[in-house]
Amino acid sequence: MSEQLTFTDVEANICTIAGLIEEDKLYFVQMAGAPLMAVLLAKYMRTPEVGYVVEEGAVTPSPSFPLPRMMLGASRSHHRAVAWYGMNIADSHAALGFMDYGLLACLQVDKFGNFNSTFIGGTYEQPERRFGGPGGAPEIASQCWRTLLMTKLESRKFVNKLDFMSSPGYLDGTPGARERAGMPANTGPYKIITQEAVFDFDEETHQMRLIAMMPWMTVEQVLSKMEFEPLIADKVERMEPPTDEELTIIRAQIDPGGLTVSRGEWIAIDRETGQRAQ
Amino acid sequence: MEVLESGVGEFRMPDPDGFREYVRTHKERRLVNKVINEKEAISRLVEDGDYLAYDQNVAVRGPTSLFREIIRQRKKDLWIAAKFTWTDATLLVAGGCVSKIDVGWMAAGKVINTAVRKGEVKLIEWSNGALAHRHLAGSMGVPFLPLRYLVGTDTFTQSGAKVIEDPYTEQRICLVPALYPDVAIIHVHQCDVYGNARVMGAGVAPMEIAMSSKKLIISTEEIIDIEAIRRQPQRTTIPYYFVDAVVVAPFGCYPGSTPGLYGGDIEHWLEFMAAEMQGKTDEYLEKWVYSVASHEEMLEKRVGQEKLDSLKAAETVKEGYYE
Repeated sequence: MSEQLTFTDVEANICTIAGLIEEDKLYFVQMAGAPLMAVLLAKYMRTPEVGYVVEEGAVTPSPSFPLPRMMLGASRSHHRAVAWYGMNIADSHAALGFMDYGLLACLQVDKFGNFNSTFIGGTYEQPERRFGGPGGAPEIASQCWRTLLMTKLESRKFVNKLDFMSSPGYLDGTPGARERAGMPANTGPYKIITQEAVFDFDEETHQMRLIAMMPWMTVEQVLSKMEFEPLIADKVERMEPPTDEELTIIRAQIDPGGLTVSRGEWIAIDRETGQRAQ
Repeated sequence: MEVLESGVGEFRMPDPDGFREYVRTHKERRLVNKVINEKEAISRLVEDGDYLAYDQNVAVRGPTSLFREIIRQRKKDLWIAAKFTWTDATLLVAGGCVSKIDVGWMAAGKVINTAVRKGEVKLIEWSNGALAHRHLAGSMGVPFLPLRYLVGTDTFTQSGAKVIEDPYTEQRICLVPALYPDVAIIHVHQCDVYGNARVMGAGVAPMEIAMSSKKLIISTEEIIDIEAIRRQPQRTTIPYYFVDAVVVAPFGCYPGSTPGLYGGDIEHWLEFMAAEMQGKTDEYLEKWVYSVASHEEMLEKRVGQEKLDSLKAAETVKEGYYE
């Protein structure tokens, strides 16, 4: 029996997004959680100088690792920033067009990249499960040039109809829909990252398109975990599973105690074949 | 001007002139000593039915000693702005103090879910940025401000925002109504007896909230001399004339963290979360709020010096705050 590598879906998302971070771009992230951790992993491993602004107003910190067990905007995660402002100023930097990428997570997403972080099931007045609200997602998803959105690949998350549209993707998908609604021009969701597949959006129709998947997945398996059928790229690329080094840094330096990353579903893969272990 | 779209969410009609009249007749302009204890501050300045605003960044620099005093005094029917918040909304709802919440982001577990379904608490949707923008509008003394988000979403529909045609560019633009809270509570690192207050680190919107609220209670880790304020005026976040009361509250955001001074008490948060999951928030409130007469007594009898020392020791980052 060969050795296995185990990680959670959240860890896989953090590693995939960390691999997308570019040092010559600026990132706008929410106060805590997995999207921020992806920037921190990239900063720790590959792109130490990458600039990012945290919603509450910290500009390009150099965090003091290891972070405390509950990161939550504390002094170590704001350490050695170039500026400390408040929320309104951070927000205005996005409104001015300085934020290349916004990083967000969501509960549900539809084929045009509109997403929900408000409630699941029932009605707005009588929700089956109410969540904490959109936080900064509407301003980040509306004002950054491109939005990277992470969620879990499963059919209750990739839905035909959102229970609530907390934040905008391409709205109804028609050309100029965001601009007509009143958002800044030429913005929108860029990629949807999950533990087993990555999607982008067709430039014309703004429909979600499968562009990469993990080595153990087939297109049919991806589709079986979605309510709607996405477009499929001519060539679906192969995603790289997390590495030992990435996982060690996440667990020891970025989220010691695992309050965020260990909450997900555990995935075990065979190190030799790269296939999912039974 | 034609309104193209309106959300259905309830909001208080902005009243900049009403605010100005209040300032004219109620706010103290002289440098007077405003230090009072938490009991007096909350009983005198927080009334049932008030709109209550506060500033915090999740578990950082929230005015938790004042939240506990509000719960202890069993204030009712408050309308709160929950942006960038965490368990505070849950605590205030569990204490029976809240009837409406403007939502940006808050921890929403069993307590909030049950209260919403029973109709005991009404939620109105905004976002962190939209709420901060509403405080900004209030702090400018104007009735509304434009912004370029919320539009196109169900969040907009459940908010009190509107879309109009911008008279200059003729494009659609979203407007949010100014927020003028009745009372705000803000925890700060340092303050003099007159209310000149310093917040260190990235705030969320302490200045905007302080400026737009009719009544303002500051709780502070320490009192410093006005001479120290005058030597470094650039470090002042809130000047004295906005402030109605100064409450001295070391560890005033326990179990949260005041950056540069002490870390958060993770064991305490886990105790709270476990209590909520098991439906035992009443027991939690009894232990941490009702059975002690004050913040001081809670620190002494429930937290203990050893724990406080360890939280101070855990906060090793001073740079940027005190250095």
